[in-house]
Amino acid sequence: MKGINKRHLLTSMMMVFLLFLAAACGGAETEAPAQEEEPAGQVEETAPEETEAEAPAEEEAMEEEAEEPAEEEAMEEEAEPEAPAEEEAMEEEAEEMMEEEERVLIIGHSEVTESYDLAHAFNPTSGIVHRASYDTLVTFPDTDASSIEPNLATSWSVSEDGLSYTFNLRDDVTFANGDPLTADDVVFSFTRLINVQSNPSFLADPIESLEAVDDLTVVINLVEPRPSFLAEMVNSAFSVANDAEVIAAGGTNAEDAASTDGAQEFLDQNSVGTGPYILESWTPQEETVLVRNPGYWGESPYFDRIIIVNIPEAATQQVALESGDIDLATDLAPDQVTGLEDDPNITVFRGQDRWTHFVLMNRDPEIGGPVSDPNVALAIRYALDYQGYTDLWTGSVTPGSNMWIGIAGAFGPDQAFERDLDRARDLLTEAGYPDGFEIELSYPDFTFGGINLSTNAQKIQADLAEVGITVSLRPGEVQVSLEEYRNGEQGFAYWFWGPDILDPVDFLSFLPGGKVAGERTNWTEDMIDEDTLALIAQAGSETDPEVRAEIFEQLQVYAQENGAYAPFNVPAIQTAFRSDIQGYIWHPEWGLDLAGLSRSN
Amino acid sequence: MSLQIYIIRRILFAIPLILGITVVSFIIANAVPADPINANLPQNALNDPELVAAFRERWGLDKSPVEQYFIYLGNLLQGDLGVSIKTKNPILEDIQQFLPATIELATVSIVVGLTMGISFGVVSAVWRNSIIDYLVRIFALIGVSFPVFLLALIGLTVFHAELGWVAGPGRLSFLVDDPPQVTGWFTIDSLLAGEWETFWDALSHLILPSLVLGSFVSGIIARITRSSLLEELNADYIRTARSKGLHERVVIVKHALSNALIPVVTIIGLLYGNLLAGAVLTESIFAWPGLGRYVFRASTSQDFPAIMGVSMLIALIYVAVNFLVDILYYFLDPRIRLK
Amino acid sequence: MSNIANLQPKSNLRSQPNSRTFLRSTLRNLRRNPAVALGIVIVIVWILLAVFAPTIATQDPLSQAVSDRLQAPNGQYFMGTDELGRDIFSRVLYGGRITIPAALAVVIIDSLIGTLIGALAGYIGGIWDEILMRLTELYLAFPTIILAMAVTAALGPSIRNAVLALIVVRWPSYARLTRGLILEAKNDDYVKAVRSLGATHTYILVKTLLPNTIAPALVYASLDIGNVILLFAGLSFLGLGPEPSSPEWGRMVSIGIDFFDQTWMWLFPGLAIASLVMAFNFIGDGLRDLLDPRTRK
Repeated sequence: MKGINKRHLLTSMMMVFLLFLAAACGGAETEAPAQEEEPAGQVEETAPEETEAEAPAEEEAMEEEAEEPAEEEAMEEEAEPEAPAEEEAMEEEAEEMMEEEERVLIIGHSEVTESYDLAHAFNPTSGIVHRASYDTLVTFPDTDASSIEPNLATSWSVSEDGLSYTFNLRDDVTFANGDPLTADDVVFSFTRLINVQSNPSFLADPIESLEAVDDLTVVINLVEPRPSFLAEMVNSAFSVANDAEVIAAGGTNAEDAASTDGAQEFLDQNSVGTGPYILESWTPQEETVLVRNPGYWGESPYFDRIIIVNIPEAATQQVALESGDIDLATDLAPDQVTGLEDDPNITVFRGQDRWTHFVLMNRDPEIGGPVSDPNVALAIRYALDYQGYTDLWTGSVTPGSNMWIGIAGAFGPDQAFERDLDRARDLLTEAGYPDGFEIELSYPDFTFGGINLSTNAQKIQADLAEVGITVSLRPGEVQVSLEEYRNGEQGFAYWFWGPDILDPVDFLSFLPGGKVAGERTNWTEDMIDEDTLALIAQAGSETDPEVRAEIFEQLQVYAQENGAYAPFNVPAIQTAFRSDIQGYIWHPEWGLDLAGLSRSN
Repeated sequence: MSLQIYIIRRILFAIPLILGITVVSFIIANAVPADPINANLPQNALNDPELVAAFRERWGLDKSPVEQYFIYLGNLLQGDLGVSIKTKNPILEDIQQFLPATIELATVSIVVGLTMGISFGVVSAVWRNSIIDYLVRIFALIGVSFPVFLLALIGLTVFHAELGWVAGPGRLSFLVDDPPQVTGWFTIDSLLAGEWETFWDALSHLILPSLVLGSFVSGIIARITRSSLLEELNADYIRTARSKGLHERVVIVKHALSNALIPVVTIIGLLYGNLLAGAVLTESIFAWPGLGRYVFRASTSQDFPAIMGVSMLIALIYVAVNFLVDILYYFLDPRIRLK
Repeated sequence: MSNIANLQPKSNLRSQPNSRTFLRSTLRNLRRNPAVALGIVIVIVWILLAVFAPTIATQDPLSQAVSDRLQAPNGQYFMGTDELGRDIFSRVLYGGRITIPAALAVVIIDSLIGTLIGALAGYIGGIWDEILMRLTELYLAFPTIILAMAVTAALGPSIRNAVLALIVVRWPSYARLTRGLILEAKNDDYVKAVRSLGATHTYILVKTLLPNTIAPALVYASLDIGNVILLFAGLSFLGLGPEPSSPEWGRMVSIGIDFFDQTWMWLFPGLAIASLVMAFNFIGDGLRDLLDPRTRK
């Protein structure tokens, strides 16, 4: 649009440079999506291995070695208070940097979060911000979930009975305010998560008790053996906050924290973590500002400041990206991305996104009405035009169950439903609705990850009209609708789900006794047979990988026949960014990793 | 009637109106079945009986509706409009944050609208039934007939996306920092701070939305100016002036126009209130961080305290603007003075 | 965006003495005014298109063909297709079936309510009149669209509730108009004569006063339709009207925010609104010119 020639020349040169670089690096970016089909499968195999006591020591040594150079750098840069002269020099340098120009990254993003408090927030946007401003004890590799890597914990061990996990913390980590990280911070953060009893608290359900053995050792005791526990600990809800700052802000981890904790307001605006960035401010629905944490213990990130601007409309994100107002757009629609691919200034990343879109059918007859009948739910699964959704969203696939398609053992397109209108009509007749019925479909009215939910809702409406079900659409404001959904007040709804844990146990949320089934669908344990109940119970604690895989297969078949959901689409992720942005990596657990991004000159 | 008496009369008229506005606001803010405690207090405060009791106390929730209204009125007088359900901030704070953006947009729009409207109206009245007259009338018709959202989309597509002449949605480019706040108008504040780049950026963002919003105003103003100028031009005193051999331009500008603008002045007050409301659509398309977008979000989240806080504010602005217009009218129209 | 039209016609309308001669002269003058004629033709065309939409439309306005989505206008789809492959031409035709009845409902019901309340207030006078006047002033102070938004937010978005909201918001201007007319007519010699003959209040009101106010109210209503259409479209554009799949014009334009480049998706329904509003404004302008002694030659 403006100054095209010069910019064109520059960017084409950049592209050539980038190409060389990509070739040199072995095209890490293009391989990423392909790997995602497998990663979780490896979690399953490697996680138990690592839990054996000797393994971590080895790991640790290797990791330490690998990280050494980075660490030295960090050490030099931040903490040497005894050498004031040097520090001054550093400051001068820093000032010069400032004068040179602050390195700013601007991200256009459709914001979905009601908080940035670790104990309350549990949303896509908060996941990205938490990843940047806090650290967890353990983590995954950059692009997949194939193994458990050390993070704040250098090593860990598991007791013989699988009930007790001991984590050894790094001794060189300080919070952004300079306080050293101690085991007490870990215990405080996790017990606060448990006792605040908010959205992510259920993740801590497997935990029986916690204890800080010494300054750098934490022991976590579980209710029952749980092979997926380390993978769960990667979730940003298990990030470590500085207990002193949380307490100073009115926070508490006491048993009655649900009513007495008052730190949320502070934590919505400030981060108190050890991550590469610090949350500077948050204006809900406007923008989130992160600044570089100068005392970060790991490799210092490139950008000094990251501004996440809330741009709910995909088209606006596109225009802003094209004009260079933003560097990266997270929520473009597939149609737009196709058009952008020819633009030399813009690089497009495509991969399998982590969201499974599904229709929810409440099992409480009072709330769900006709769809509370399992036969009607099955009819609806047969009535959806799955092919249509994949045509609508380029790169998307049809899932076979509510287990995210990237998790090993998840039912994929091969095992998915195929549309069968006759079957659907028969089932409806069987259920006593030969002429269909009328029902309201609730859904949050917004565009997420480039998927306009309203478009899908209209398609669901049209699909079901063909079997005589008259759907009226009831779009809701995101937060309002989310509240209803979480309280189990929606009878017939359209939502999407991203795995909390990159492990098959995540799927248990959708079966009786699980979070989504119990709280949001009112599908309770007394509604199913003893055998399935036993199978569900065994699924969580089974340690033999083969038996485990067998169980999860049976459970997915069970859900296909009897479930209260109709999973219909797993869209692709499409992120587009200015071509001078490098280091874009997408991870199915936390999404975008801000600390890895940089700008080429 | 002297000016003082006139002003006192106007104020006396305004008081019941303002009281009425508060009553309506109170009724609507409370007409919703939702439990105000549930809606207003954060989740974890609900478990705290002391906080809940304090909230009840503050808004008199256990008293009769009439008493509740007076408590509401009392809180209002202290500037307490309640707390927004959506943003969880005091509504007054929210308004302070979002109002300047809307005022800036609305004021620039009305200036644009008045300038275009009056000049178009004059041109088309003077050259009545000429091609220019028809063009102006068609423009005025488009201005009042095209939905603002359509004009906004066309404007964005043509002048922003295709031609790149003006900036798109938002008040400033994302990279540009807000100027230090003085008036809350980005154009003025950036000038005060001597930040030229910020000024141009703010101006570039202001052009499209204010043209879209102003086109509606200019359509109406052009029509009124035209018809009232035509009437004046046929009046006896103009004929006298002409027969005295005065230059036509003097006749039109000095004599006819000044009288013809009286009806325009009367309508400004109304237009201003309407502009603030029309800003709802314009602001949501242009991602303009003003009251219109705020109140739209409030309405989708059933945030009634916020909706009513904003509409009360706009109603009060309306009353104030009309008060000023009345006083202006006093000076412009000799008939009032003679009454 | 709405109260403005309320201001201008009042003074002109009020000066019409008798409704029968008024109607007759209006009809006579209509023929001489081409703009009005054009407006009437456009409105009639839209009404016909809406009535015969099922026959004219090439597709079911709700049927989706995902494989044909986002097509620019072509021989098969005259106005292209939208993001779900629905035919925009057919949807625009069907859109008239929503907007026209909705606007008419608002205007007609408001004329009835407004005339009734305004007539009573004007006739009875005193405290009732005072209350009505203060109430309408209050209404004028509140921004129409925000009040309408509050109403739809409370009732939930739907066509019915949007219509309801507009009815609730707009009746006072009708009441004001009628009241003014009644006040003037009350002092009419004819009415005075009837009253002196001992006629009942009901008789005077129904037989002599109301007929005088109906024609001006109708004219005012026709002037107001354009505004009502714009408000209705605005509410649906914001998602406070019909549901998303509805072929309502304002709703169809709103998807344009996501599809700048596919101009046909939002331009055609947008122009449908504009042309209909413009037609009503043509009619309104013409009527105003005819009724306004200042511009009449």
